[in-house]
Order: sequence, then C-alpha cells, then structure tokens
Amino acid sequence: MELFTFSYFLPCLYAFVGCVAFAVSFNIHGREIPISALGGAVGWLVYLLSAPWFPGEVVRYFLASLALTAYCEGMARVRKCPATSYLLISIFPLVPGAGIYYTMEYAVHGETALFLQQGMETLSLAGALALGILLVTSIMRMWTLFCRRTRRTSAQRR
Amino acid sequence: MSINYDQLLDLATELGFRLMETGAEIYRVEESVQYILRAYGVETGEVFAIPNCLIVSLTDTAGHASTRVRRIPAHGTDISLLESYNEFCRNIVQSPPPLEEALKRMEAISARHFVYPFPVMLLAYFVGGGAYSLFFGGDWTDGICGGLCGVAIGLCLRLLGPLGANSFVRTMAAGAVAALCALVLVGMGLGHNPDFITIGALMILVPGIAFTNAMRDIMAGDLTSGVNKVVEALLIATAIALGTGFVLSLAPAV
Repeated sequence: MELFTFSYFLPCLYAFVGCVAFAVSFNIHGREIPISALGGAVGWLVYLLSAPWFPGEVVRYFLASLALTAYCEGMARVRKCPATSYLLISIFPLVPGAGIYYTMEYAVHGETALFLQQGMETLSLAGALALGILLVTSIMRMWTLFCRRTRRTSAQRR
Repeated sequence: MSINYDQLLDLATELGFRLMETGAEIYRVEESVQYILRAYGVETGEVFAIPNCLIVSLTDTAGHASTRVRRIPAHGTDISLLESYNEFCRNIVQSPPPLEEALKRMEAISARHFVYPFPVMLLAYFVGGGAYSLFFGGDWTDGICGGLCGVAIGLCLRLLGPLGANSFVRTMAAGAVAALCALVLVGMGLGHNPDFITIGALMILVPGIAFTNAMRDIMAGDLTSGVNKVVEALLIATAIALGTGFVLSLAPAV
C-alpha cells in the first residue's frame, strides 16, 4: 500500500526517542528505559497501522492503548516490575496533552465553540485510552486469579 | 507476639505517604497499606486515599481505635522509587519483620535512592522537546529549536523551584518562556514553525498523563480522586495557555 511509506512510520522513531527522554525525567534507570520507550513506539505503530481499517480517531486510540497495555503487562511479568512504570512512559505519545492545552488555549481566547469541540475530542481520546488500559489490566488480573485458583484446587485434589 | 499498634500505624501510613509521593496510583497506595496492616494481623484496618490526603485507621485488640491523617504535598513522579517501595511492601507482606527493622529498611531505601543530576535532566528535556517537535510534524530545525525551548523550560522550573513559587505561577512562567524562546528562535531564522516548536517543548509541562490517569481513576470507581485530578490537569493546562497566550499576544506589537 502506498500509504505505508517510510516517512509515514518515522513518528514511531520520534516517539521512541521522546519516550527515552521522558523516562529519564521520570527517574527510570538502566534497562527499563528502552523497554518502556519501546512501548511508546508500539502504541503509535498500532495507531498508524490501523488507519486504513478504522477511520475514527477514538477507535484507533483505543486499539493502540490495548496493544501497548498488553505489551507493558507482558514486560512487567518478564521483568518482575509493576506494569505502571512501563505504562506511564509508553502512553506518553498517545496521551492528549496537546489536546488539553489547545482546549484551554481556546478557553483563554474566549472561542467557546472551538473550546467545546476540542474539549469533547480530548475527553473522548483520554476516555478511549483509559478504557483500553482498564480492560487489559482487569483481564490480566482475572487471569492471574483464575490461574492461582485452579492451581490451588488441583493441589487440594492431590 | 504482641505488637505496638502505634508503631504499626506509623509504618503503614509512612509507606502510603511515600508511595503517594512517588506518584503511585490511588489503588496501589490503598492496597499496599491494607496488605501491611493485614500482614501484622490487623483485620480491622481502613485506608482512604485521595490525591492530596491519606487517612489510615485501625482498631487494636483492646478495641481502641487510632487514626492517622497525612496531607500529601505537591509531588512529581519517581518511578524507580515507586518500584523500590513496591518491592519493599511485597517483601514485608511475605515475611513480616519486627516493626523497628521494617522502619529501618524503609529509611534505607530513601537513603540509597539515586536521582539523575540536573545536566542529565536538561539533556532529557532537550531530547524530549526536540523529539516531540518532530513528532508533531516539524522539520529538523524545528526539532533543534524545540529542544532548546525544552531546556529553557527546565531551567525556568529549576530557578523558580527554590523561590517557593506556587505551581500555577511556575507553570505559567514556564509556558511563557517556551513561547518566547520559540518566537525568538523563529525570528532569528533558526526554526520554521513556531506552533510545532512550542507544542513539542510544552509536552514537558502538559498534563496528558494526569488527565488519562484521572479517567482511569473515574472508571475504576475512585470518583473523588478522578475528579480531583481532572481539575488539576485543567488548571495546569490553563496555566500553560495563559503563559503562552500572554507572550503570543505581545508578539504582534513588537
């Protein structure tokens, strides 16, 4: 597809570099820095890849947040760290920080219509991200509980 | 074993307080405190946390209730410290040591804690601001300018910090400095798109993560915390918008 050119995917690299920098400013050390920054690139990659099939921004943000939370939860299990430390960095490129800023900028300038429009958009994007994170983390929690319980019952039977 | 309930309450509250100061989520703080109390055999413990307050209460075997309240000051995010306290909590719950030893171990964590030196932080701001200027669609000159604006933000925050400036004022000043830098750099012909430069550098200040976490809290049922954080995020964004807006409105006059 001619949509998927090199320059189309270049933002993933920028997201990665930006995440490395913000990982340092959040005081992450050592090998966790590239691992958490990779999550940011993964999220943005999913966002870009899903473009031809899902035209809606909100759905694409939701998909990206599902993917990157799954990545973070997986890494948290491999590295025996809380998933939050990866999640906080990985979500950075997706997070509607610019959206909130523009929203309040419109408010300060007194442009009510634009303020409402931008505000709603920011709210739905943040909501999509939060929903994605919440879904994956609760499924992972239920899965661990389920595994623990089945292990316990099979141990009792023996 | 009879335990000193006051000391236990101290330990649990202090751990909750410190976790909160590292920027841990509300549910993590509440769960950790609850686990610690249970590890020492207190089933009647209650904990309630919102972003700027922590309340821990327990009833001892004699039926005497004690409560401790801690107010949480403004804080940043320190993930390595969060991980250390999380691990500490897990170790304590698995095999509870005597209370004195637990307190001593907690002190040791904060004593050997490593923070990046300020120049490294500035470098991080440079790279971060630059990378996000490129990310939002700027060309490479915009990237460099975004990085320089990021450094300016870092310096501004650092200078105003010891002066005890209110965080609203500090954010406003940092936003103004970023916009001013962007305008000057574009005026000198270094950068091309002041919009991309400013928004890239402002990613350092912008409360995107706070806002998303607020939505997570709300969906998870921590309504008070969520609403609290939404208001905080909007306030920060307003401060930035006021700062940049002030500079940008002056620009045509010059």
